[in-house]
Amino acid sequence: MQAESVDRIKFTTLSPESIKRMSVAKLIVADTYNEDGYPIDGGAIDQRLGVIDPGLKCKTCGGRAKSCPGHFGHIELVRPVIHPEFAKTIYLLLQSTCEKCYRILMSEEHIAEIRPMIKSFVEGEGINTEDSAALIIKEGDRRGPAMKKLKTVKKCPHCGTPQRKIKLERPTFFYIEGNRIRPDEIKDWLSKITNDDLELLGMDPTATRPEWLILNVLLVPPVNVRPSITLESGERSEDDLTHKLVDIMRSNQKLSQDIDAGAPQIIIDDLWELLQYQITTYFNNETPGVPVARHRSTKPLKTLAQRLKGKEGRLRYNLSGKRVNFSARTVISCDAMLTINQVGVPMKIAETLTIPIYATHWNMELVKDYLKRTEYPIVLNVISKEGVRKRVTETNREELLKAIQPGYILERQLIDGDLALFNRQPTLHRLSLMAHSVKVLPGKTLRLNTSVAAPYNADFDGDEMNLHLPQSIEAQAEARYLMQPKDQMLSPRDGKPTMFIEEDEIAGLYMLVNENSRFTKYDASRILCAVGINELPKQGKDGMYAGRDIFSMILPKDLDFNHGTGNRKVTIKDGKLIEGILGVDVVGGSGGALLREIFHKYGADFTESFLKSMCTMSLIAAYRHGITISIKDYYETEAMSREKNRIIKDAEDKANAIVERYREKKLEALPGYSRKETLELELRVQLDIARSVAAKFLENSLTPENNAYLMAVIKARGNILNFVQTSMLLGQQAVRGRRPSRGYNGRILPFFKRNDMRPEAKGFIKSSYLEGLTPVELYLHAMGSRDSAMTKSLITAVSGYLQRRLINAMQDFYADGQGAVKDAGGALIETLYGGDGMDPMMEQIAAKKKRN
Amino acid sequence: MEDEYNVAEGEPVGVVAAHSIGEPGTQMVLRSFHSAGIASVITTTGLPRIIEIVDGRKKPKFPMMIVRLESGYSKNYEKVKEVWKKIEEVKISAVLERFEENLKTGVMLLYPNKEKMERYGITPGVISKRLAKMEGIDASLDGDAIKVKVKEEDTKSIRTRFVKIRASIVAGVKGIMKVVVQQEDSGEFYLTTSGSNIEGIMEIDGVDKESIYSNDIFEVMRVYGIEAARILIATELKNTIEEEGITVSFRHLNLVADAMTHTGVIKSVGRHGIAGEKNSVFARAAYEETVKHFTNASIFGEEDMLTGVAENILIGKQIGVGTGKVRLAVKKQDLKKIMK
Repeated sequence: MQAESVDRIKFTTLSPESIKRMSVAKLIVADTYNEDGYPIDGGAIDQRLGVIDPGLKCKTCGGRAKSCPGHFGHIELVRPVIHPEFAKTIYLLLQSTCEKCYRILMSEEHIAEIRPMIKSFVEGEGINTEDSAALIIKEGDRRGPAMKKLKTVKKCPHCGTPQRKIKLERPTFFYIEGNRIRPDEIKDWLSKITNDDLELLGMDPTATRPEWLILNVLLVPPVNVRPSITLESGERSEDDLTHKLVDIMRSNQKLSQDIDAGAPQIIIDDLWELLQYQITTYFNNETPGVPVARHRSTKPLKTLAQRLKGKEGRLRYNLSGKRVNFSARTVISCDAMLTINQVGVPMKIAETLTIPIYATHWNMELVKDYLKRTEYPIVLNVISKEGVRKRVTETNREELLKAIQPGYILERQLIDGDLALFNRQPTLHRLSLMAHSVKVLPGKTLRLNTSVAAPYNADFDGDEMNLHLPQSIEAQAEARYLMQPKDQMLSPRDGKPTMFIEEDEIAGLYMLVNENSRFTKYDASRILCAVGINELPKQGKDGMYAGRDIFSMILPKDLDFNHGTGNRKVTIKDGKLIEGILGVDVVGGSGGALLREIFHKYGADFTESFLKSMCTMSLIAAYRHGITISIKDYYETEAMSREKNRIIKDAEDKANAIVERYREKKLEALPGYSRKETLELELRVQLDIARSVAAKFLENSLTPENNAYLMAVIKARGNILNFVQTSMLLGQQAVRGRRPSRGYNGRILPFFKRNDMRPEAKGFIKSSYLEGLTPVELYLHAMGSRDSAMTKSLITAVSGYLQRRLINAMQDFYADGQGAVKDAGGALIETLYGGDGMDPMMEQIAAKKKRN
Repeated sequence: MEDEYNVAEGEPVGVVAAHSIGEPGTQMVLRSFHSAGIASVITTTGLPRIIEIVDGRKKPKFPMMIVRLESGYSKNYEKVKEVWKKIEEVKISAVLERFEENLKTGVMLLYPNKEKMERYGITPGVISKRLAKMEGIDASLDGDAIKVKVKEEDTKSIRTRFVKIRASIVAGVKGIMKVVVQQEDSGEFYLTTSGSNIEGIMEIDGVDKESIYSNDIFEVMRVYGIEAARILIATELKNTIEEEGITVSFRHLNLVADAMTHTGVIKSVGRHGIAGEKNSVFARAAYEETVKHFTNASIFGEEDMLTGVAENILIGKQIGVGTGKVRLAVKKQDLKKIMK
């Protein structure tokens, strides 16, 4: 069912006449249901406005709850009321027109000068800002300066009447020289402004006549827009809008009665103001200067503006983003047996989600075979040509088999090889949504290869992810050709690999390819068999197999690769790893040069399998070799404790010396800083050094026999700083980028003396994690931790908003066939994307090619 | 250029650029100041600086300039110092020992500090001459002191005038609060200043007028024009991001800079700039200030032509970028073949 396509949408204001024309009912009773629980005729939920209860019939169109789209009604207001959202517009109009002759406060000559410019501006040609008269209307803002200038005009250039000052008191009260102008007077005034003058002000009189901004008649939306709900107790609860409409009608009625009864003017004015209040809050319950209308429970009412506005409003919640079918969500876990391009889907999900099979002349056999199935991949629903969806059951299967013909759609269960979109929130970049090939597995989690967790920024500590099944052929094709992880191997951000090996695999790969690694025939066979290679490399003289030769078996035979210098040099010649260790800069997260090369030279499919083979091999190598850390690795040696004491003493001595110099006023202030700030700066630098000195020492004294150190060096997991903090000292703690400084008078904690200048009184921690922290140290450490936790939560909010702004500003940009960047309106942003029209994904590869 | 490296037609380069800047945003520091090394100028860094640029703020929180010197100066430290003295802004209050003011008669006596004056190479005569040039002020030397008489009469305005006089500049370029001399590996000296005033710096002898760098985008636009501002936006973004150890292709940053400047003026990203001036009512309403955009649209009788991404998602049509831009056409005779 294809609805007619919308070409464009024009915004206008409804005139009282068109409201009455749209309306099917004039509402007069300020109530909802009568004692029998039936809607009152002429009440806020009159049955002519549509029905929402099943069983009732709409009195206008005769449709039932599902088929009746609802109809508008109207309320006739006894006294006109200002539309609050337009109060500012009305104000500007009053200011720029004459109070006596209602002409625009602009001389005829001026008008003649400006008219052609307004015309060209409204027609979208823009105006030449060099033009003196053009300065009156600034580009992008049709009325601002023009009107601002007119309000300063003292005397009407047409009739010579001196203009009095008009004031708007928020939200809807107008005064002329202190005397209130009532809405009916304003309405008269506005209705006398000519169309020509309105055009001069940039307004479109065909879309909005200004007198329409003062309401005589209020349009009432259909009940479908404000359905009442029946609570479990059988009690009815009305929508906020209905409540507000009842309020409006009640105020209106009271006003009408009092007018008829000839009540004094003050009372009438009060009631009129009340009606104005009700209508103001009906449109926008957050109007500044107006008390918020509330439920009895003091919860603010959600009226029209609140329905549209903001993150939970109609536009952002229901229109820019919609709920979808054919999706699943559950916890994720890792599975090293999957490739990066696969996703493991639990049987339960696979049995529930469906993919359509479109029955045609050519696939009737297949379609019928599928429909006959009674075990796992079965057809769940059949959709007839007319679009009627029927669930397949044992009883109607035969019947459906007979009915089936081209044009029918079958919905079958998910099977291996289907493509599914896999997503993790926050969806910060396009790699957060990729199309994986389904692999149906036992278990209850969605599974993915660890290497593809990086682009999603996923880990397995309870993260959940979403799965979406593209239903149309077009969507499936798009997913297949554009969205698969194997094609997204390079980041569009900088052209570096987005998927690579990490942690255990890096460690395993080190075990596999370091120059001393030798494997027995048994081990070599195991490693190679696991990646589907059934031959062995050349045997060494000792009867063993070199790890590098084993690894080389998965390299393409014509691959030549050189990377790095010195002891980080890696050489591959004719598909043989000659020298070097494949570390993070070659196959890992910091560069991944080899992956890039292979991706470019051998394509996505090979890279996918290469990555998988490399993972498998290195993991088996890690199992065979065994690698673990224990607390023993971190034990403090004699030398370490000596060095530690020396570092601490050194830091303290130096810090004391600086303080001493400061006290003797010998410390020269750095330009632009006070002496105290200089002291702080120098101390911070001096104390921060302690940790790096310790790190240097560890680097020199530890050997790769220490597994914790080994893993830090090959960048599998952990770093030297972790080691320093675990076995030597924690070092200086920082709060807001400085040493902790706030707390008590002259000290951070009451355990210190006032103005204690020792490093430990300002967050320098001498203990290590292994030793344990003293209570004071623990407190200072917690201060630092709290600071970083707070900063982190703050930065997500700040950067999230930055991202939203950037996307909103640039979402319409696209590259055209010639590499130029244009926006939705056709404006040229860049003549050639990036100056050379190159895809940033290919940037690194192109740069390398250029070098060679 | 080889085809395989080119951007695909219809590629939504804007969204990719936004992703590329926004996604690593979470990894950046929130701390706004940072000084590279101890003796240096404070600048805004990290996410706050990115936001500052992208917001198109009129004045950076910490304006900064890099001033290179002409060949005759750049290697001679003494001469460099001379230039430094000429640019660093000196307020009268900075060279005063003490002052006496009489709010009744409007006379103020300024007692300069000799040491401080020497440091900046100023004499009391210079100060009094400078002051005498100002409107409504009589200044003369009176022994050690400088006697200043203002013509204001009521106490309040005399007082404000006095404060203004003491804050006025006697030497240097206005707005250059601090100058740090730095040395390149090649031995050449250059100056980093906190505060920016391109026009002022250009008038100083010895300054290489062709390689002045300022991080004040609006000032650069005023002095050098919009193209210079565009390049500055891109470079500043690049430098800020790279300082965090993140790599982002220059294409994305250039696109942001181009989006901000392609109309000839600097527009901010966000509600008051690019996103708020879009043609489509729906695109604006879906972004921010929903009600305002709808009500204004009705007054001006605006029409939404539904060309952009946001409005097409809103009404449920295919978007006009990427694969959505592609339209398929089938020849009539081919269609007949298929239908058979």
